Amino acid sequence: MSQTTTAPRVKVANRRSPFIHEDWDARTFRVNREAFRSEEVFAKERRLIWDRQWLYLGHETEVRRPGDFKQRTLAGRPLIFARDSNNVVRAYLNSCPHRGTILCRETEGNAKTFQCFYHAWTFANTGELVGIPDPAAYPPERGFAAEMGLREPPRFANYRGFVFVSFAANGPSLREHLGEARDYIDLMVDHSERGLEVIPGTHMYAIRGNWKLAVENAMDGYHFSPTHVTFVEYLKTTGYVTSDEGGRVITLENGHSVLVFSGHGGRVGMQWEPRFGEAQRLLVEENVRKLAARVGEERAKRIAGTSRILYVFPNLLLFDIEGLAARQLEPVRPDFTDVRAWELAPATESPEERELRIRILGSFIGPGGLATPDDVEAYECVQRGVVATAGDQRPEVDWSDISRGMAREAEGQPARNVDEAGIRGFWRHWDDQIGGGAA
Amino acid sequence: MIATVTRQEVEDFLFREAALLDEWRLDEWLGLFEPGATYEVPTTDRPDEDPRRSQYYVWDDYELLAARVRRLKSKHAHAENPHSRTRRLVTNVRVGTPGGGTVPVYAAFLIYKIRDGNVDQFVGRYEHTLAVGGEGLLFRKRRAVLELEVLRPGGRLSFIL
Repeated sequence: MSQTTTAPRVKVANRRSPFIHEDWDARTFRVNREAFRSEEVFAKERRLIWDRQWLYLGHETEVRRPGDFKQRTLAGRPLIFARDSNNVVRAYLNSCPHRGTILCRETEGNAKTFQCFYHAWTFANTGELVGIPDPAAYPPERGFAAEMGLREPPRFANYRGFVFVSFAANGPSLREHLGEARDYIDLMVDHSERGLEVIPGTHMYAIRGNWKLAVENAMDGYHFSPTHVTFVEYLKTTGYVTSDEGGRVITLENGHSVLVFSGHGGRVGMQWEPRFGEAQRLLVEENVRKLAARVGEERAKRIAGTSRILYVFPNLLLFDIEGLAARQLEPVRPDFTDVRAWELAPATESPEERELRIRILGSFIGPGGLATPDDVEAYECVQRGVVATAGDQRPEVDWSDISRGMAREAEGQPARNVDEAGIRGFWRHWDDQIGGGAA
Repeated sequence: MIATVTRQEVEDFLFREAALLDEWRLDEWLGLFEPGATYEVPTTDRPDEDPRRSQYYVWDDYELLAARVRRLKSKHAHAENPHSRTRRLVTNVRVGTPGGGTVPVYAAFLIYKIRDGNVDQFVGRYEHTLAVGGEGLLFRKRRAVLELEVLRPGGRLSFIL
C-alpha cells in the first residue's frame, strides 16, 4: 500500500451542518465555536466519540515486566494498564466489581494481586476474583466468583506496541480504524528492528482549553513560523536553518491526518544537524546505511529523511520529528484537557544516542520546552477568545475560519502543511460522528 | 581547601535569586550560573531518574539555558508575553557538606504564578549544587523537583521554576 500520494483525496462536497459550513463555491470552511464551549457538545462527544472509538491507552513497554501496572484515565474512566503474571498486556476498569470502589490506589507499581481496601476482595492480576472474606456468605455455586472478576473495557487491541481500548462492544477493528495511519505508525516503529520503547518520565499537564484545539494546533503548520519564532531563532544560533518548503499535509480516512515536513529540524539517529556534534555525523550515516540494508533504499529514505506528526482520531498524536513522542489527549471539560506525553526511542540505540535524543527533543517539546508553552498559550487564548462571539446571530461571526488552502485544493494541487486541509479533515470526521452530516 | 559556607550565605544567595526571577531580571539571573552549569526539572512521576535516561521537563546545559533566557526576553515568547507575575517563597534551607569546591543545598519552594485571572501554585524542593569560589556562590547545578502529581491546573513551565 503506497501512501506517498499527496494529491487531494478529499471529496469536494458542500456541508451545512449545525457545526460545519463547508462551501466550495466560496472556498470557505467554517466551524461553529459552540464546538469549543458547549457542555451539550461535550456530553455528545463523550457518548458518540469517546465511548465508541478506539482510544489510545499506552505503549506496551510502559508495563515491561509481568506484574507491572499503571493507573490511567480515558474518557473520564479510571483504568489499570497492566501486564499480568502470564506476560499478557491488559486493561481493567479501576473499579471494584463489588461496589465500585477505586481498586488500585497506587499510581504505578508491580503486583501479583489487587486488593480492594474497602471489603478486602482480592483479584489476581489476570483478573480472577481469588479471595473474598467469609465466602460462605455468598451463593456456593462457583459462578458467583467467576462473574465478579475484574471488568475489562469491551475491546482491547495492540498495534505494534501501541495499545488501544474501546468502550464499545462492537465497531470496526483497530486495524480498520487505523487504516492508512498504520503506514505512518510503521514508519516510526521501523526505526529499529526491535521496535520502540518508552523512555521513563511522563509529561503530565493540563491545558485550559478544549481538546480539539490541541488537535487543530498539531495539524497546523501555518502557526509554526509566527508562534515558534523564538525556537526558530534558537535553532539558527546552533547553525541550523529550518524551512517549510515542500511540506505537505495528508488527510487520511477516519479523521486521521499527517503533517509531513522536510526541514523541521534534525532527526536523532536519522538526519544530522549541527547540534548533534561532529561525532554523530558518521554515526548517523552508518545508521541510515544499516536501515537501508534492512528495509530497502526507498523505505529508508522515507523513515530517515522526513519528519511527521500523525494524528490518530480521537486522542493520539505521534511525533516523528527531532525525536519520537506520543501525546494523549483526555478531555475533562469543554474548556479543560489533560495531556500525557511520552518520549519513545528505538529499542536498539546506544546510551549516547539516547542521551542526545532526550536533550534534543526536550529543547522543543513539552511544558518546559522552548516551543510547546507557546502552543499552550495559543489553545488557551483561543478558548478565552471564542467566548466573545457566543450567541452572536450575525452570519459567520461566531464561526472560526479553516479555509486556508481550499483554492489550491479545488484546483487539484496537493495541500501544503501550511494549509488547513488536515484540520478540515478532522472536523468533517468529527461532524460525521456528532451527527452533523453532509448537506 | 575546605570552603565553609554558612546557611546565611546560602539564604542570601537564594533570596537574591528569587528576587531577580520575580523581577524578571534574567540576564542578572543567568550571571548566577558558572559556565557549563545546568538547570533541570524532572517529571513528577520519575523525580529521581537520571536525565540521560529519562524524559525531563527541563534539562538545560548552559547553552540551552542561555537560549531560554534570550527567548524569555523576546516579545515573541508568547507564553510569557506579557510576563506572569510570580512570587517565590524559598524556605527550609539546609546546607550539605562542602567538598571539591561545591556545596549541596536543599530548600523548599512555593511559587505563585499569576496571569490571565489564574493563580497557579508550584510547590517542590530545590536540590542545587553551588560552586564555592572567591567571588562567592554560583550555580553548578540548579535542580527544581516538583511535589505536584501532575502540572495541573497550570500546565506550563514557561517561567523559571
